[in-house]
Amino acid sequence: MGMEEVWIIPALPAAAFAVLLLFGKYLPRGGDFVAIGAIGASFVLFFPVLFDVLDVVDEAGFAGGGKSWEWVQFGDFEIRLGFFVDQIAIVMLAVVSLVALLVQVYSVGYMRGDPKYGWYFTCMSLFAASMLTLVLADNLLLLYAAWEGVGFCSFLLIGFWWERRSAAEAAKKAFITTRIGDVGFLIGILLLWREAGTFDITEIFEFAQGGGYTDADIGGLGLSGNAYLTVAVLALFAGAVGKSGQFPLHVWLPDAMEGPTPVSALIHAATMVVAGVYMVARMFPLFELADAIALDVVTALGLITVLISATMGLAATDIKRVIAYSTLNSLGLMFVALGSGSVTAAMLYLFVHGFFKALLFLSAGSVIHATEKQDLPDLGGLATKMPVTAAVFGLGALAMIGIVPLSGFWAKDEVLNTVDDHRNVILYIVALVSVFITALYMSRLFIRTFLFEPRDRPAQEHAHDAEPVMTAPLIILAVLTVIGGFVVFDLVGEALGFPGGFGEFVFFEEPEGFHFPWDVAILSTLLATCGIAAGWYFWSNEAEPARRAGDALRPVYEMLCNRYYIDDAYQWVIDRVVLTLGSIVAWFDRNIVNDTAVDGSAGLGVFTGFGMKFLETGKLPNYALAIVGGVIGLAVLLMVLRL
Amino acid sequence: MIPINNFLVLSSILFSLGIYGVLARRSAVLILMSVELMLQAVSINFIAFAVYLSPEAFTGVIFAVFVITIAAAEVGLALAIILRLYRNKATANVDEADTLKW
Repeated sequence: MGMEEVWIIPALPAAAFAVLLLFGKYLPRGGDFVAIGAIGASFVLFFPVLFDVLDVVDEAGFAGGGKSWEWVQFGDFEIRLGFFVDQIAIVMLAVVSLVALLVQVYSVGYMRGDPKYGWYFTCMSLFAASMLTLVLADNLLLLYAAWEGVGFCSFLLIGFWWERRSAAEAAKKAFITTRIGDVGFLIGILLLWREAGTFDITEIFEFAQGGGYTDADIGGLGLSGNAYLTVAVLALFAGAVGKSGQFPLHVWLPDAMEGPTPVSALIHAATMVVAGVYMVARMFPLFELADAIALDVVTALGLITVLISATMGLAATDIKRVIAYSTLNSLGLMFVALGSGSVTAAMLYLFVHGFFKALLFLSAGSVIHATEKQDLPDLGGLATKMPVTAAVFGLGALAMIGIVPLSGFWAKDEVLNTVDDHRNVILYIVALVSVFITALYMSRLFIRTFLFEPRDRPAQEHAHDAEPVMTAPLIILAVLTVIGGFVVFDLVGEALGFPGGFGEFVFFEEPEGFHFPWDVAILSTLLATCGIAAGWYFWSNEAEPARRAGDALRPVYEMLCNRYYIDDAYQWVIDRVVLTLGSIVAWFDRNIVNDTAVDGSAGLGVFTGFGMKFLETGKLPNYALAIVGGVIGLAVLLMVLRL
Repeated sequence: MIPINNFLVLSSILFSLGIYGVLARRSAVLILMSVELMLQAVSINFIAFAVYLSPEAFTGVIFAVFVITIAAAEVGLALAIILRLYRNKATANVDEADTLKW
């Protein structure tokens, strides 16, 4: 088992999906053990692949390995499909397989007793298979197929409780919103293919580095230089914007919290939503070759997302929504890192984010499971009832805030450092401000959920820590949240068999050795502590200062509660523009296409037939006369033509 | 030798009489007889051309024999139909047999 056989990793959950789909009904316990067994085996098989990569990673020119098969062949043109591992894929693979395993184990407790228990694990297996394929695809077509596959699973699982109207609506919203970006992604893939003639990612890189896209033009637009490549990578990035919930397509992610909480943890925190980051990191050589504007756009949208999501997180009251905003916040930071040119920082953040965000979601899930409440006004004071949950949630929140030495600190520091190094000081300051706001809303979330007096005593009467099958994944994730960040150190990396720290394993072009910028670290820690202190001041006890602040800044508060009116604006566009256009098209379809063209031509036939049928008298002499007349007519015609 | 034109004129007259009979008569039997006239006009043409064009090869004559044979068969069939018609409608007037229409 090595890089050649890496296809087995996604194949196992795919097989589990097939088994569950066909025989799930007849299996005991809805077949959850099949799903968990498959993903567990995938996680175990991840290690041989990792060791195989580590064996060769030191060799000069290592660019990943894998295996591909011929898929379609038309004459000279062939499409190959295959699976491929390199350093970036290994990092992503680690996050996906481990978090998927833990979340599925957790789900055994969380989903127990649900009427669609078996279907839940069927969807989860399909998701795991699609996600692992996405990670390992060596080919843009396969990547796109898996990309749509995870989107579809996300749709199924957000709408898992589709009997609830809001869940069905959220599923639809998520699917349609991400589709908008996906169209861009497909256009980008086709643009890359049009010039290179191949979908293979490595071959496209070689083609691009050989200057293949220079001076290419799209349909007479008069593009020259790197403009073609820039358009193509921006189209690719549109896909990432949709999938990773970046402004302006971020609106689906908070609504996606309608799904079961483990789904939010797996799909909408740790894996699927970071697929956009992963894709951009994977295609980074193209982004680097394109004009600078491409990475500027990535940075700008990332920063906008960071700011709006962090501020919206201050006003949201649903605990899952607050965590969803923090996910948007983190995703924005990853794009800021990518836009500033550091694959290392983005992938490091992605790696640790998978653990601490899944931890936050799963522990929020435990809270919801225990109290059946998820609105901050109904919670509070749970720390005494659920000490373990509170402790791990606190760790996750501190990691998200970026408190030393938790994993989030190292990743966030790396991102800030990158911005400091490669971008101007304004962006750096904006990023630092976001650190403060993050600390503010995360401490609000923790304080309002776990500390002080319970606001809804009856609901919390019997609240207690969840059963071991749910708590064990929480503890594993908490441990990873604490120690996960240490991979940045060369010492730790070497001890684990890596060539060095994280930066010397995952990098673009040149290894980034670990260096610790004290100024950035001190500044961010200071801001984070200030944020926590401010959070404590505002939201402790009865949260009186926060209420006063809300009243004083009523318009701002209203705006945050209404999510900057972005959703309303989209709704307006849909109601006024899309539906108006739709009604025009519908009118055209009904009146012109249906009534005039289709029914009209049929009606013409009916009408003519009705008129003509009276020519048929049934009388023999009439027919005889017609025959004779016809013959004479033909004869006359023939003579006239001859003359 | 009689010029071929005479034969052709004769056959034309016969054929026209046949057409007239088919068109003008209402009795199915008379229409059938008119059809026979038309067939015989064709036979005359065959034989006349055969004699004038290739007297030693009997093609035209053979065709005439064929026409007669087929005409006999046709008459048999047609008379059977007319009989059935008469049984059903109590008349052989073709104007009465007009049910095969819209």
